[in-house]
Amino acid sequence: MIPLLNSDHLLDRRKFLNIGARGMGALGLASLTQPEMLNAASRGSLTETHFKPKAKRVIYLFFSGGPSHIDMYDYKPAMKKIHGIELPDSIRNGQRITGMTSGQKSFPCVAPMFEFKQHGQSGGYYSEILPNIASIADEMTLIRSVNTEAINHDPAITYINTGTQQLGHPSMGAWLNYGLGSPSDNLPGYIVMISKGRGGSQALYSRLWGSGFLPSKHQGVKFRSSGEPVLYLNNPPGINRDSRRAILDSINTINLDKFKQTQDSEIQTRIAQYEMAFRMQASVPDLTDLKSEPDHVFDLYGKESKTPGKFAYNCVLARRMLESGVPFVQLFHRGWDQHGNCPRDIRRQCEDVDQPVAALVRDLKQRGMLDDTIVICGGEFGRTIYSQGKLTKDNHGRDHHGRCFTMWMAGGGIRKGHVHGETDDFSYNIVRDPVHINDLNATVLQCLGIDHERFTYRYQGLDQRLTGVQGANVVNQILA
Amino acid sequence: MRFFILNFKFLLAWVFFVTALEVLADEPNEVSFSLDVRPILSNYCVHCHGPDEEHRKADLQLHTQDGLLSGDIASRIVVPGKPEESLLFQRITTHDKDELMPPPESKKEMSQEEIALIKRWISQGAKWEDHWAFVTPKTPQLPEVRRSDWPKNSIDIFTLAKMEQQGLEPSREADRRTLIRRVCFDLTGLPPSPREVERFVNDSEPNAYEKLIDSLLASERYGERMTLAWMDAARYGDSSVFHDDGVRFMWPWRDWTIKSYNDNKRFDKFTIEQLAGDQIENASIEQKVASGFNRNHGTTDEGGAIDEEYRVEYNVDRVKTTSNVWLGLTMECAQCHDHKYDPISQKEYYQFYAYFNKNSDKGMQTRNGNSAPLIKVPNMMQSKELQNLRNNVKRLKLEKSKKQPSLKEMDEWIADNRASELPEPPELGGWYFLGSFTAKDSNEAFKKDYGPEKVVDLDKEYAGKKWESRKYEDGKVHTIELPEKSASYFYRTLNSPSNQKVNASFGSDDAIKVFLNNKQSLANNVSRAPAADQEKGVLNLVKGENHLLIKIINNGGQGGFYFKLGGSSLPELVINNLRQDILKADHVTKLQEYYKKSVWPLGKELDAKIKVAEKSAGDFDKSIVSVMTMGDLAKPRKTYVLNRGHYASPNKDEEIFPNVPAALPGLPKEAPKKRLSLAKWIMDDDHPLTSRVTVNRYWANLFGSGLVSTVADFGTRGALPSHPRLLDYLSRDFADSGWNVKRILKQILMSATYRQTSASKLDKIEKDPENIYLSRAPRFRLQGEFIRDNALSVSGILNNKLGGPSVKPYQPPRIWNEVALNGGLFYKRDEGQKLYRRSMYTYWKRSAPMPSMVAFDAPTREKCVIQRPRTNTPMQALVTMNDVQFVEAARVFAQRILNQGGEDFDSQIDYAFLLATSRPADDLRKRTFRNLYDSQLKEFRGDKKRAEDLLKFGEVKRDMSVDLAKHAAWTTVASAILNLDEVLTKE
Repeated sequence: MIPLLNSDHLLDRRKFLNIGARGMGALGLASLTQPEMLNAASRGSLTETHFKPKAKRVIYLFFSGGPSHIDMYDYKPAMKKIHGIELPDSIRNGQRITGMTSGQKSFPCVAPMFEFKQHGQSGGYYSEILPNIASIADEMTLIRSVNTEAINHDPAITYINTGTQQLGHPSMGAWLNYGLGSPSDNLPGYIVMISKGRGGSQALYSRLWGSGFLPSKHQGVKFRSSGEPVLYLNNPPGINRDSRRAILDSINTINLDKFKQTQDSEIQTRIAQYEMAFRMQASVPDLTDLKSEPDHVFDLYGKESKTPGKFAYNCVLARRMLESGVPFVQLFHRGWDQHGNCPRDIRRQCEDVDQPVAALVRDLKQRGMLDDTIVICGGEFGRTIYSQGKLTKDNHGRDHHGRCFTMWMAGGGIRKGHVHGETDDFSYNIVRDPVHINDLNATVLQCLGIDHERFTYRYQGLDQRLTGVQGANVVNQILA
Repeated sequence: MRFFILNFKFLLAWVFFVTALEVLADEPNEVSFSLDVRPILSNYCVHCHGPDEEHRKADLQLHTQDGLLSGDIASRIVVPGKPEESLLFQRITTHDKDELMPPPESKKEMSQEEIALIKRWISQGAKWEDHWAFVTPKTPQLPEVRRSDWPKNSIDIFTLAKMEQQGLEPSREADRRTLIRRVCFDLTGLPPSPREVERFVNDSEPNAYEKLIDSLLASERYGERMTLAWMDAARYGDSSVFHDDGVRFMWPWRDWTIKSYNDNKRFDKFTIEQLAGDQIENASIEQKVASGFNRNHGTTDEGGAIDEEYRVEYNVDRVKTTSNVWLGLTMECAQCHDHKYDPISQKEYYQFYAYFNKNSDKGMQTRNGNSAPLIKVPNMMQSKELQNLRNNVKRLKLEKSKKQPSLKEMDEWIADNRASELPEPPELGGWYFLGSFTAKDSNEAFKKDYGPEKVVDLDKEYAGKKWESRKYEDGKVHTIELPEKSASYFYRTLNSPSNQKVNASFGSDDAIKVFLNNKQSLANNVSRAPAADQEKGVLNLVKGENHLLIKIINNGGQGGFYFKLGGSSLPELVINNLRQDILKADHVTKLQEYYKKSVWPLGKELDAKIKVAEKSAGDFDKSIVSVMTMGDLAKPRKTYVLNRGHYASPNKDEEIFPNVPAALPGLPKEAPKKRLSLAKWIMDDDHPLTSRVTVNRYWANLFGSGLVSTVADFGTRGALPSHPRLLDYLSRDFADSGWNVKRILKQILMSATYRQTSASKLDKIEKDPENIYLSRAPRFRLQGEFIRDNALSVSGILNNKLGGPSVKPYQPPRIWNEVALNGGLFYKRDEGQKLYRRSMYTYWKRSAPMPSMVAFDAPTREKCVIQRPRTNTPMQALVTMNDVQFVEAARVFAQRILNQGGEDFDSQIDYAFLLATSRPADDLRKRTFRNLYDSQLKEFRGDKKRAEDLLKFGEVKRDMSVDLAKHAAWTTVASAILNLDEVLTKE
C-alpha cells in the first residue's frame, strides 16, 4: 500500500466529491449535522488494516521516571550473593552511565530489599510490593528484556513514546489515531491523563502525546482531574446549554449559506466539528461523572479510586473511556525516579498503582473487553543494580538503566501467563531474547492489525514510521 | 444522461492521465527524466540502488547517469530506444518473483502507469537530465496564451498557460471587500478597519489596489507577520526544551527579525546575518544578535546528561534547520548513513556539520536564562537609561572631588582622638580553652551555662572537662574543629593599669557570648563563618586583673573565633600617629588624609550616594537582556564522521573539514572554512536552491500551498513543481532584483492570479480539487495567531505594541505545573494591557505551549517547521466559543457595537459584520442574528444574574452605562460572529 500523502485533505475532498455527485445543493442542514453523514473525527488513513486485528483498543499505563525493574520484577535468588560486591567490569563492560553516577568511586551491587515469590504458571518473580499485580500473572506476558539506548529521562521518555529520541515525531497514540481513527462520535480518539506520585517527579512534555509532523487533530486530548475535564469544554458563565444551542444554530445557518456560495467542503467539516464539540460538552461530563459506578467497583480499584486526580481514579475513568469507544487511553503516573531512598519510595509508588492496575485488568476481563484491549505497563527505562550514593543496611538509591528493564502487556493478542527474555544475575545485560522498545511498539501495532513497516507517513522525503528507520521486529513469541 | 456521465468520466480520466504525464514537460508527449522518471526510481529503486554506499545492492547506482546508461550492452541497465532490451524494464515487468523489482518483500509495487512512463522514456531515447532543483534557474520565456485580456503581470501568463492546457478558465476578480481583507491578513495578519475598507471600496483611481499594497508593506505589522512565519522555521521559543525546559531570553532576536523585515533588509544580507552575523568583520551588536538564529534550538540541563551527546545534538539540529529552511534539503537523513535518495553522502553531511562544530557553546546548558556565547542587548531606551545612571555616578564623584573638609574640623578631630586614643594598654594573659559541651541543638548550647559563666576557676573540672592552655594570636581568624551543636569557652585575663574603656572586636562561628568579669557584655545567636570585626564592643576595664570569657556555639561544620583589642575604631597606623608625643607635619598630613577618607561626615554622605548610584547602574546593567549568539572557539574543534551518527563513535581515521555537497555548486576557491563562507555560498545569486525554496515559501504563505508542495524538500523525493517555469521566473527575479522581499511579494499580490475570487462552482472544483492550476483563489482557515488577533482587533482591545519580551495572556490553570519538573512551575498570568498583545508575543514554553494556539496547529517549535498542517477540529470550536480570551473579546465587541454601531439593530449588525468580515450583513445574516438576539435578550431580561456573570468574564471592566441584558444578548451574537467560518477563514 502506498501511504496517502496529506491524506486528510484527500479524504475530505473525496468525501466532498461523493456528496457532490449526489447533488449537494439539495442537502439540508439536518443531514449535514448527522454524525453518520459527516463525522470528520472518525476515519483513519488505513481504509483497512493489514491483518485481522486481535485488539481494537489500547490502555497504556506509563510510569514516568524509570521504575526499578529489579525491585519489582526482575529478581533472581543469585542477587543475594552479589549484594554489597562491586559491580564487576565484566558486567558493566565499559557501557556508559549517566553523569549522576559516572563520578562515583564505588559501585556496590544491591539486592532488592523486598521479598520475592514466583507467581502464576510461568513462574515469574513478583515483588511483595506488587501483591495485586502478582495475582494477575496468568493474564500477562512479562517482558524482562526491554531495552533502550537512552540513559536520561528526556531522551528516553521521548524515545519510547514516539519511537525516536529526535523531537518532532508523533506519539504512538497519535499514529494510531491517524491510522485507525476512532469509532466514537462524541469523544476524542486519544485521551491522556496524568497523576502525581508520592515524591518529586521528572518533567513530562506535550510531545509525549503530541502529533509531531502529523496533523494536530491526532494529538492526545488531556483529561484533567479538576476544573474542566477537557480544556475549554465548559460554556462561559451565563451561557447555558440552550443558549449554546441557539448560538450554534445561528452559526450553522450562516456557515451553510457560505457553503452554498463557495462550495468549500471545509465548511461542511467545520459544521460537523462544531456539532461534535457540542456533543462533547454533554458526553465528557457524563463520562467523567463516576456517580453511576457501583460501590463494588471502587472496592475493586481501591480507596483512592474515589479521589479525582489519583491514579486509581484515572484507572476507573480509563475503563469508562474504553467502554465508550475511545480506542487509545494513556495514563501517566509520575514519581518513579528513585535515585535515593529507593526502598521506601518505590514501595509508596507501588502502593499507588498496584491495586488499581490489577483491578483494571480484572474489570476489563469481567466485562469481556480484555480480549480485544491491549494493556501495556511500564516506564522509559529501568534502574541500576548498583547503588547510587551510599549503600546502608536499609537504604540505597539506583541510577537510570536502559540496557534492560521490564514491561508487561496483557489482553488482545498477547500471550497469557508468559515470561519473555532473560537478564544476567546483575539484571544489567540481556542474555536472551532482547526486545527493543521499537520491537515492543511494532508488536502492539501487529495486535491492532497493522504492519508497522507498511504504516508510514511521508515527511521530509522519508516514509516515516512509528518504529523508526533502523528496523524493528514483531516479537512473535509473546503473541497469543 | 448516461452518455454524459460516461463522457464526464472519460474527461476526468483524461485530465488525470495528462496530469501525471506532463505536469512539467514542455512537450506534452515527451517524458522527462527529471520530472517523470526520477521520482519513480526514487520511490522504488534508489533506496537500495542509490547514493547509500554501505547499503547499496548489486553495486548498482540508478541515481547517476553512469549507473543507468553506461556499461557494455550486456549489462546495460537502460538501452536507449529499446525498453525490451533494457534490464531496468525487464526487471520491473518480469513474472518471475525472484527476479521482480522492487522485490515483493519490500512491500512496494510499481503501478502500471509508472511502468508505462519508464517504457516511454526509454523508447523516446532515455535522455538523462540532472535533478531539476540542482540546476540553476534561468529566466524562462513567457509561454503563449490565448486569452490576452486577463494577465496583469508575467505571473499570470504562466498560470494562464497551465489553465488553458487543463481546459480551465480563471475566476473573476474578488470584490474589493474580500480583496482588502485577504491582502490585509496576508501582509499584516490583521483585518482591515471599516474605515480602511470604505476608503478602498470608494477609491476610483486605477492604482487603488497598488496603493493599498504599498501602504500595507509599509506598515510595522508587516514585519510582525513575516516574523511569525520565520519563528516556526527558526524554532523560536522562550524556553530551553529539554528536561526542565527552563526560561531563556531570545526575544531581542525576534525584535531584530521584525525590524529587518520592516526595513526590507535584502534577503541575502538577512541570511548572512542570521547564519553568521558574528563572523562579519567588525560585527555590530545587531549582527551578532541575528546570529542567534542557530541558538534557538532546544538545550538540556539534565543532571545525568552527557555533555558531548547534546553538543552534537545541537549541531545536528543546526544542519537540519539550515538545510531545510534555505536549501529545501533533508540533509539530516545523512547523519547516520549516506542519504538514501539525494546525493548527500555521510561524509558530506559532516563537512556541512563542520561549519557548526566549531561553535563554543557547551552541551550542558542552563535551565535559568541564557548560556554563552551571548551578548548584552540594551535597547535605545535602556542604552540611554544606563548612560544616565553612569553619568550620575560620575557627577557625584566629581562633586565630591570638588569638596574638602575644613582645617578646623580636622584639627578638632585630631585633638579629640589624641585624648581618647592614648589609653594605657592592658597586659594580656594567655588563652585557656574549655570544652566542648554538646547539646541537643545549638539553641540549648547557646542558652545553657556549662559552669564557667558565673565564675571562672581554672582548676575546676566541668563535667569531666578541664581548662587547657592554648595559643591564639590576636587579630587573626581562628578556625577550630568543634563538634556539631556544641558550646566551647575561651578565657584570658587582662591586667589594666587604670580604670579605662577599651574597644574590642570579635568574630565567631557560629553564635557568640562575651563575659567580662563574670557579667555578660555581648550575645549574638547567629549562624556564620568566622571573620574579623563581626562584633564590636567596649570593655569597661577595672584597675588590676579583669576576666574575659568568650563562649562559642558551633551549629555544624567547623567552628572558630576572632579577638582583637582596640580593633575597631581606628587602624594601627592612625593610632600610631595619634600616639606620637609630638605631632610632626607628616603625622598631621597622614591623619588629615585619614580623616578625609574615613571620618569626614560630608565625604561619607557623598560616598554613600555614590555607592547607591553605582549599585543602581550595576543593577540596571544586569537587568539588560542578553541574547545567545553563535561564536566559534578560539582553537577550533576537529570534526570526524560519527559512525551511525553516534556522538561517541567518531571515525578518527580521517579529519573532516568544512565544505558543501558536491552535487551543488562549489565554494569559491579562496573561501575561508567558516560559517560566513557557507552563508555567502547559500546566498549566491545562482544557487539553484535558495531562491526557489524562498519564493516557494512565500507563495505557500499566501496561497496555502507551495508551487512545490513539499516546501522543505526539494530533493528527489520532494514533490515536483506544479509550475516549474513560474517558479524559475520568480526565483530568478528575486535573486536578480537584489533579494528584495517586498518587491517579490508585491509582484505576486498584484497578479490577477492572486486577485481571483475563492468562491467556485462545483464543476471547477471537480476538475482540479486541489487547485493545483490556480484557477481560483484559495480559501482556508486563518492560522491560530491570526484568529486570536482578529478577535482582539475586531473588539478593539488589541494592544499594538511592537516587539519586546514575551507576554503571558490567559491560559487555563495547571498547564505548566501538571508536567513541570517536580510540579513546581506555575504560569503567572500577566495583567492589563499585556493580555491583549498580538499572539506572536505569547510566551512560548515548548514542553507545554499555549493550548489555545496548539489547538489551531501551532507547532511546539521544538524543531524547525516550515509549513504547518491545517486541521479542522472540535477542540478549535471549544476554544473560540469558550476561552475567556474569546468570550471577553466578544463582550467588548458587543459593547463596541452598542456604543458605536448606531441606534437600531440593523445598523448595529451591519457595523458588527463590517468589523468582522469587511462587509455589511445581508438579509439572511440580519434575520438570523435578530432571532438569536431576541431570544437571548428575553433570557437575560429574565435572569439578570446570568447576564452579570457573562459580562464579568475576563479582566476588562464593562461599560456600566450599557443596558445589561442588551449587552449580554449582543455578546452571544458577537461570539457567534467570531465563530463564523467566514470570520475564521481567509476568503
